[in-house]
Amino acid sequence: MNIRYEQTQGRSLGFYALIAGLGVLILASLGAVYYMEHHGHYVTGMNNRIVWGMPHVFALFLIVAASGALNVASIASVFNKKMYKPLSRLSGLVSLALLAGGLMVLVLDLGRPDRLIVAMTEYNFKSIFAWNIILYNGFFVIVAVYLWMMFERRMNKFTSKAGLAAFSWRLILTTGTGSIFGFLVARQAYDAVIMAPMFIIMSFAFGLAFFILILMASYKWTERPLGDAVVNRLGNLLGVFVAAVMYFVAVKHLGNLYLAENAGVENFILFGDHIYTNLFWYGQIILGGLIPMALIYHPALKGNRPALGLASVLVLIGGVIQLYIIIVGGQAYPMEMFPGKEILEGYGGIAAYTPSLPEITLGIGGIAVALIAVAFLVKFLPFLPESLADEVADPHHKS
Amino acid sequence: MSKTLNRRDFIKTTSATTVGVAAIASGVTLTSFAANDKSVTNAKRWGMLIDTNKLTETEIDGMVGACRKENGWGSEVHSTGNQKPTWIKKLKVQDKATGKITDLPLMCQHCEEPPCVDVCPTNASMKREDGIVLVDRHLCIGCRYCMMACPYDARSFVHEDLTDQKEHMPRGKGTVESCTLCVHKVDNGESPACVASVNSDAVIFGDLYDANSKINQTLKKIQSTQIRADLNLNTGVRYSGI
Amino acid sequence: MYRLLVLFLSIALSVSIAQASNDLSGNSKAAQSTEKYHDSVSVIRKMHPEFLNHKRDKTLRQGVRTEENSLKGCVNCHANKDEKTNQYHPVNEQDQFCSTCHQKVSVSVDCFSCHRTTPGKGASL
Repeated sequence: MNIRYEQTQGRSLGFYALIAGLGVLILASLGAVYYMEHHGHYVTGMNNRIVWGMPHVFALFLIVAASGALNVASIASVFNKKMYKPLSRLSGLVSLALLAGGLMVLVLDLGRPDRLIVAMTEYNFKSIFAWNIILYNGFFVIVAVYLWMMFERRMNKFTSKAGLAAFSWRLILTTGTGSIFGFLVARQAYDAVIMAPMFIIMSFAFGLAFFILILMASYKWTERPLGDAVVNRLGNLLGVFVAAVMYFVAVKHLGNLYLAENAGVENFILFGDHIYTNLFWYGQIILGGLIPMALIYHPALKGNRPALGLASVLVLIGGVIQLYIIIVGGQAYPMEMFPGKEILEGYGGIAAYTPSLPEITLGIGGIAVALIAVAFLVKFLPFLPESLADEVADPHHKS
Repeated sequence: MSKTLNRRDFIKTTSATTVGVAAIASGVTLTSFAANDKSVTNAKRWGMLIDTNKLTETEIDGMVGACRKENGWGSEVHSTGNQKPTWIKKLKVQDKATGKITDLPLMCQHCEEPPCVDVCPTNASMKREDGIVLVDRHLCIGCRYCMMACPYDARSFVHEDLTDQKEHMPRGKGTVESCTLCVHKVDNGESPACVASVNSDAVIFGDLYDANSKINQTLKKIQSTQIRADLNLNTGVRYSGI
Repeated sequence: MYRLLVLFLSIALSVSIAQASNDLSGNSKAAQSTEKYHDSVSVIRKMHPEFLNHKRDKTLRQGVRTEENSLKGCVNCHANKDEKTNQYHPVNEQDQFCSTCHQKVSVSVDCFSCHRTTPGKGASL
């Protein structure tokens, strides 16, 4: 099988419009950062009860998706599925781009972003956060090396080893990201080790959704052939991942409901009468889970690309909502400081949080950075196969 | 030595002489100054015992006011609602079964196994040898992870520019802060401001390891507990009457 | 040509620095005192970041609260009072203690986002 990779032209009006649009979003987010840093965080909706807000929702969403976007390359290199091999380069690129966007948002929301050097030099190895800093930076290096193995013909024989290293690193990284919450004993919503594998399976779904959208868009906008063999395969895979996420969510919540000590936070998320409950059922479960699965698996929509595109978008929206419920909802629910007693004054109650415009702008800027990186780099380096028509991608497929 | 002070020279000479002078500098410290120049050790562990049966609501308000005055927080202009720092707060707790209402002050509990210290990525959140948990604001990057981890909601983030700080309590925008057990007073042999504001033995402060101290002896006699004792953090602040 | 430019700039710089090198021109306690509280100006000028960094860890992490190399000590001694209003000028204000050098060499001073810029009410030295 002879796959030919080719850079995109990147000279059309559409390309420049895309770059300009994303550029505007990025400039807006940088402006938001300046505004927040100059005045202090009082201009945001975050406070001492809700310390992590929209920026962290977006940042963690992008970081989790980044890890999962490398899945396609891993399936090719580690699990030796030949059909995925031509997609490996793009997979690595999308992975790095999403991570860069996510880290940008995370770092720019710090109270003292000028002290980033301190974060890189003073390490507390007991802190999972510090471990994550090492894991994220290492991920950049490992995927860069992995991409180099794929690009450099003489290095192709090392691709599977590099792929295995990247795959393992990714699992550790996402476990670490889930553990940021899973290790917090203080809060009822978090103190659960299942958060680590749950984040891994979330990364599979979000990363693949991003990948599918970027793949379909790049091939459509550069008018290159993209056959059904590839698209349907990826679509089915997305459906499996979405189902797996729903399973983990079910296990986490059912498990929590069984344990009396966590009944409070479960009632709050599942059966409360405020925004988190609505977001959970309508946003995360229906919009982010059931509808995408229907769009992917319904016989009438088999092979329907707009349906798959819509399903991917809904998975992403559902993902942002899921992280919002985890991060913000988990903080909004008060800590159980006096079991059997009710706090009348001084603490307690569901903490209020209204996302502010600077925070949302910063978050969206992160997505824009990721997308602009992909748009530019497919022009400078041959990431995209010239053709992914069925005959080229999967000569043995049955139509 | 040249009178020129451009940046290249500044950096060059600074890095060149650092190692040599650092060694000499520590020698100079030991010989020239005598008072209060010993590092604290873990021979002592500072703790507080709060008896909610004896402490009145007015006294708790007084404790909050004393902390504000001593440490300079509470006059932030731009922060609203939950953004305002609260190093110590008054809680009113009602037992759901019996209906009994208890008032108590809640501040950093100065745990022996502080979750905030475990999670801080830069070692800014630290525990001193004598048990006082502090934020080294020189290293704090403002990530607020310690605030997520604290089981007592004890920490505050500074949401705006500050001026007119107390000379003994530097605090600034973008870093996290919490009750320091008035470490600057403790190191001078005094009690924390909140303890000093209560004129009875409703609040006792002292060295938990010293068998002759009032706090040690009182803890041996009367019932006391930690808030969220099931987390096994071995807090330095204990309460009786809850 | 290039060399002449560098030469000119360093002379200009050293002239302006020479004018600022003696900051004991105000009415701060340091200006009015004849005692020697710390090392010579040139040592302090080169080493004060090291001294301050070392001292801050000793004070904060180990509880050593001596006057030596204390930032609070610098501020108490070197702050100038405005004759008319009888208020202290912040030490990082333009043309005040820290800024006389830091403005020239364009090195930002991070200390005073948190530390008090004027002597406190109970200050003494």
